Amino acid sequence: MLPRHHAKADAYSNGYPRSKDKTTYSISPHRFQPRASPPALRRRRQLLFRLCIILAIGLFAFFIWPGASILSILSLGFISTGEDFQLETVRYYDLSNVQGTARGWEREERILLCAPLRDAESHLRMFFSHLHNFTYPHHLIDLAFLVSDSKDRTLPLLSELLEALQADEDPKMPYGEISIIEKDFGQKVNQDVESRHGFAAQASRRKLMAQARNWLLSAALRPYHSWVYWRDVDVETAPFTILEDLMRHNKDVIVPNVWRPLPDWLGGEQPYDLNSWQESETALALADTLDEDAVIVEGYAEYATWRPHLAYLRDPYGDPDMEMDIDGVGGVSILAKAKVFRSGVHFPAFSFQKHAETEGFGKMAKRMQFSVVGLPHYTIWHLYEPSVDDIRHMEEMEEERKAREREEQEKLDRVKKIKDQFVDTGSQWEKDKTGIQNEAMKEKKEKEKKEKEKKEKERKEAAAAAAAASAPDEEARKAKTLEAAREAGKPQGNPQ
Amino acid sequence: MGPARSLRRSSPLTIVVGVILCIVIFVFLLSPSSADTAAAKSRQANAASNPLSPPTSPFRKQVDNGKRVPPPVVHYKMNNVTSTGDPVGNRETILILTPLARFYQEYWDNLMKLTYPHELITLAFIIPKNREGNAATAALQEQITKTQKTGPEKLRFASIIIERQDFEPPLASQGEHERHKMENQKARRASMSRARNSLLFTTLGPSTSWVLWLDADIIETPPSLIQDLAFHDEPIIVPNCFQRYVDPKTKEKKERPYDFNSWQDSDQAKEIGAKMGPDDILLEGYAEMATYRTLMAYLYAEGGDPKDKIPLDGVGGTALLVKAEVHRDGAMFPPFAFYHLIETEGFTKMAKRLGWNAFGLPNYRVYHYNE
Repeated sequence: MLPRHHAKADAYSNGYPRSKDKTTYSISPHRFQPRASPPALRRRRQLLFRLCIILAIGLFAFFIWPGASILSILSLGFISTGEDFQLETVRYYDLSNVQGTARGWEREERILLCAPLRDAESHLRMFFSHLHNFTYPHHLIDLAFLVSDSKDRTLPLLSELLEALQADEDPKMPYGEISIIEKDFGQKVNQDVESRHGFAAQASRRKLMAQARNWLLSAALRPYHSWVYWRDVDVETAPFTILEDLMRHNKDVIVPNVWRPLPDWLGGEQPYDLNSWQESETALALADTLDEDAVIVEGYAEYATWRPHLAYLRDPYGDPDMEMDIDGVGGVSILAKAKVFRSGVHFPAFSFQKHAETEGFGKMAKRMQFSVVGLPHYTIWHLYEPSVDDIRHMEEMEEERKAREREEQEKLDRVKKIKDQFVDTGSQWEKDKTGIQNEAMKEKKEKEKKEKEKKEKERKEAAAAAAAASAPDEEARKAKTLEAAREAGKPQGNPQ
Repeated sequence: MGPARSLRRSSPLTIVVGVILCIVIFVFLLSPSSADTAAAKSRQANAASNPLSPPTSPFRKQVDNGKRVPPPVVHYKMNNVTSTGDPVGNRETILILTPLARFYQEYWDNLMKLTYPHELITLAFIIPKNREGNAATAALQEQITKTQKTGPEKLRFASIIIERQDFEPPLASQGEHERHKMENQKARRASMSRARNSLLFTTLGPSTSWVLWLDADIIETPPSLIQDLAFHDEPIIVPNCFQRYVDPKTKEKKERPYDFNSWQDSDQAKEIGAKMGPDDILLEGYAEMATYRTLMAYLYAEGGDPKDKIPLDGVGGTALLVKAEVHRDGAMFPPFAFYHLIETEGFTKMAKRLGWNAFGLPNYRVYHYNE
């Protein structure tokens, strides 16, 4: 850097003595004089004046737009109210964008998956394996669970599994919005198979189930949903593509056929869900005779409805895409367009046209002119839970099996014991046996020889005798031969 | 130079800091949007982390960085959702539902005057997708922006949802005369039911305690409407809907009963119903169909106690307070003939089938717009 003040090159501009030989290069900044400035007092006054103006403007703006805006500007969003300003409070939805189409996954249509739960701890892991396997894009599926009146570890296990699911490393695994709704209805009905399916308990049980479903749906349905999928957690086997498979039919309400596997002694398999059916004249006539609060339930001898059931129409080799119009639906796996629920169709927790819950849902959907279909040859498999009778039967079978085993074991033991006891005498026996056999053979040979001679003699006699006496003689001879044979065989068979 | 100079230079800085501090303190003291107010706190507490959350709660704006953040697992303890006679004391949230065909400024002004804590109120609208609906949406959005963005914190609502209907209303014109023709009633009310159900079941969410149905043409109510209705602690309660008008003869300001859908059933009506086909509906307020029902509209007594309460078999939907659990149990507005009743009257019947009863307040008035 060249010194600017050549004229005063030898002067002390900053109090430091300057060396005379080093005139060409210096890095010292002290050589520069500060710019001539106005007196400090005036500067300060100016500054105050400016600040007053800013303050005045600020206050003015504040009174014109009272609110958080100034604060957030001043605080640059660093203090907590800045966050409040970040909150979005207005939402806009066009419901005509969420009608549901046959190829929803391409249009990014969101599905609400609803699962009502009660004391379902034992099924949860199986259900989550299904969740892992769904091929419909997971981020488009919102999960909603209603946990009610559970005495087991359903709730903690559910949240644990869900947390793990959302934290999954695979970006394709986590689902959309996840709601766990806790609500107890004070249900007194037991959840075991027998009390669940007993006829007397059906009506009130179905009404309570319906209530739970309605609470779940009304709390979880959002304006951005195009589809709603109801799924029981105790489905054991179902295609991974079930959502797409059902969606492709583009129906308002659609259900697959639900069967369950059985142990071999019960026939291997069995229709499970009898709530998907077509209405029959008999059932309609029956409905007219019942009182307002009665609920017709399927699968009980008390109400013979003669309805065609989806379950019984299954052909294992039938076309899985075949559709059948139905009036009542079962709740194991229902895919419905969200607009069905938006229109007000729900699971009647009262007797609607003599039906409740999912059957009433089917009836109500039909009442509002929605299409309700079932797929008779597209089957999913419900978990087999043995009934009390089955368990008794299985216990009996188990007993029987054990008894048989015991018997066989005993027999084996006995034989062994006998063998053990007579093991020394065995060879002696053999010797004796052969001895006896030899003797018997000798005897037999002698006998045969004698007989031959006798026969020869007889034949000669017969030739000489009259021809008329031949028949009785023959008989006598036959009997004699038999006797001889028996006698000869005896010693052979005896030793054992 | 030296120490004296540096002192002089730093003093304006101290002043600047001091003044800024003063301003901050000043703003903190005066600002209604202070983070310390209960309203703001409850807003913060109720805020959800993403836009998929229940629409009754506000949500934090998402930073779009192209990466999808999986939404969290949220527990909703619905055993703790109450609806009691003291909704303000128990901090119960209310959802005000309005099927909107035309926007009236008076309606909005009346809404703003409600004394129920606004941070506990969620508004939801459903608007048809036609020309009229577009105009109504625009007008509504203008008011919403004014209130939610720049309005005083105290008057801001917790959340606002606007939905556009996915089906056409059956009538092109929504004129009062056209609307009330008897043959048009069934189709109109069926469509209205669908709109109401769509709005209700997509916005109810897991935390709502009360649902207030308020028609877009209700332009005057007592400011304490919600508290007054909830005070009775009934599952379904409806005030008496009147209309102000100017008598053309005497030029006097008068009022007349407007909503005839709130009634107690009569034997005659039941008889007519028994003779009807399964799809026919009973209508009120038409001379062709004399039902002899007891109409709440005519039970209003000048100077009567506004707390007087009567049981009802059918309710009107102009203003209607319902406990959320009634709707959650499945009580909806049937868009078909349900016991020969439709819409709000059918709703009353369905609620009754589920074990919930309806009541009316004959001396408690709200006012309908006069076209």
